[in-house]
Amino acid sequence: MLAALAWRNLWRRPQRTVLSLLSIALVTALLVFMLSFQMGVYATMMESTLRIIDGYAQFQPEGYAADPSLDRTIGHPARLVRAAIAIEGVTTAAPRVNAFAILANGERSYGAAVVGVDPASEQKISSIAAMVHDGRYLNATDRDTAILGDILARNLKLVVGGRVTLLGAARDGSVAADVLRVVGIYRSGIPELDRSILEMPLSRAQDTFAMDGRANTIALGGPSLGSVNGALPALGALGRRYGVAVLDWGAMEPALRDALALKIATSMLLYLTLVVIVAFIILNTLLMSVLERTREFGTLLAIGMRPRLIGQMVWLELLGLALLGCAIGFAIGAGATLWFEHQGIVYPGMGKLLAQFGLPPRLYPTLTPLSALIGPGAILLSIAIGGIVPYLRVARLTAASAMRAA
Amino acid sequence: MRLALSIAIITACTIVQAFAATDADAILKRAFDNYRAGSSQTTVTMTVHRPDWERYLEMKAWTRGEDDALVRFLAPAQDAGNATLKLGRDSWVFNPKLNQVIKLPASMMTQSWMGSDFSYNDLSKSEDLITEYTHRVLTTEQTGGHTVWTIEAVPKPGAPVVWGKVALKIRDDYVMIEETFFDQDMKPARRMQTDKIGILGDRTYPVTMTMHPLDTPNQWTRIDTSDGRFNANVPDYLFTLSNLQNPRQ
Repeated sequence: MLAALAWRNLWRRPQRTVLSLLSIALVTALLVFMLSFQMGVYATMMESTLRIIDGYAQFQPEGYAADPSLDRTIGHPARLVRAAIAIEGVTTAAPRVNAFAILANGERSYGAAVVGVDPASEQKISSIAAMVHDGRYLNATDRDTAILGDILARNLKLVVGGRVTLLGAARDGSVAADVLRVVGIYRSGIPELDRSILEMPLSRAQDTFAMDGRANTIALGGPSLGSVNGALPALGALGRRYGVAVLDWGAMEPALRDALALKIATSMLLYLTLVVIVAFIILNTLLMSVLERTREFGTLLAIGMRPRLIGQMVWLELLGLALLGCAIGFAIGAGATLWFEHQGIVYPGMGKLLAQFGLPPRLYPTLTPLSALIGPGAILLSIAIGGIVPYLRVARLTAASAMRAA
Repeated sequence: MRLALSIAIITACTIVQAFAATDADAILKRAFDNYRAGSSQTTVTMTVHRPDWERYLEMKAWTRGEDDALVRFLAPAQDAGNATLKLGRDSWVFNPKLNQVIKLPASMMTQSWMGSDFSYNDLSKSEDLITEYTHRVLTTEQTGGHTVWTIEAVPKPGAPVVWGKVALKIRDDYVMIEETFFDQDMKPARRMQTDKIGILGDRTYPVTMTMHPLDTPNQWTRIDTSDGRFNANVPDYLFTLSNLQNPRQ
């Protein structure tokens, strides 16, 4: 009965109602799309950054993050690898040796990180294997081979088939020296990476750096960042049993985590402003319509309608307007998002910049329940709460004074 | 009369000494001269101590002037034959397994030398302390019949050095007692201490010195100098790349 009355009241002034609906719908659609786009881009950003080398999580010896020295190691990495991939949500575990060495070719020499990797599992975690543009990636039967970044290769004047000399310190402090055959050169487009990392087979690295079968870290991968994040409690328990720490993505990439948190915080401020503005516009409109109808409400009171009921009716008008507006906006926003989820969005001329952040040139929004509902939810909630103002105003009316109002 | 005279002489000496003591540059230079001389040939054992292992290295070192040095490892067997040559600011290493001489890239100079608590920079930039820093005597104290100066060395503006400042304790016979390196936040980062002073060749010498990184307890590197000849004739061919790869002796 009240709802029907409220509905009819809304359409007594179709023009005003349509305009109000439009403003709610527009903001809702914008919020749904922007949030989905932002979350989609951030997820891509995180996953592609982590997929370069970190993995979605890592086992590390205690204290390794603060002081990543070669003699902080994980014993029996194979056992931990088996136990880790038995955990739901984790599909790959890649043990690594992370050493540092002088790389030399003839007169030329540069310092670089030397990573001993298990080629089979490493390919599933790190996208470096896919970035090899000259030659090939390491394979399971390799012994004395290496791949390195293209800037490093250029600096050392190395080509595929060339030999690179390694000289560094082994785990026991002795001199680590080796000569490897370059089988592949990768290019990630990230200069820091392309000039500083050489990968070699894990077992060879363990021999060269006197690791005695040990590893420094184990990178973990799964179908998505979310699935590995979901496995963190189980990974933590496993880590405690083996006396190693588990680092989640934020701990491995604190700068990325903080940058994203800051971006989310600033854009939330913008979204909040939008929500507040639209709520005030709608409230203002309704307050106008309440004032216009003061005499009408007086009549209603005079024929015996309780003030509270009139208040509820006004509140229902507001809620109906908001619901309808949000529904339309949600449909438009979600529709656009879904369409762009297939099409992708290209910023012309931004490819290089995006590649710096490990992003593909085409960006995709991702419609998730959270990104789809947070905007409409916020609008509905703020309008519903704001509706208390006209409700109180109406509930205070008395028949005599209201009918005498101008 | 005699007594008065000797008192006067002693006083005069003390005054002269006190005068000299204020010249921090001179003290430091003489301490370095005492340590390195015009040339030197020493036999050194290096003990690298870590919480779960300890390692001994035996080496022979030659220096010429302030800039040039050759260090050749004699033991343990697996590292014997490795050698480091330093000429001016450049350093090369020779590895017998690779049978190759490799020039150290600048980016490697802060890395640990042979797994010890010394960096390549410590080998190559030792004279920086004299040329790139300004020095002043902070305190003068008497301990065990010796005067010990504490000298503060602060980098000259824009000097290419890694330390915020260095504090040195030098005895009046120009033996370095202690050297503390402060990082850019003026927190002490590592300390080199002289544990034993003895006679080596023609001079009083800090024969045992230990480097302690102050942020990692239970970790240090000790250097024992067992044999030394100073200002002897060190042949120039020692300090060449060909001798680094194919030692003549």
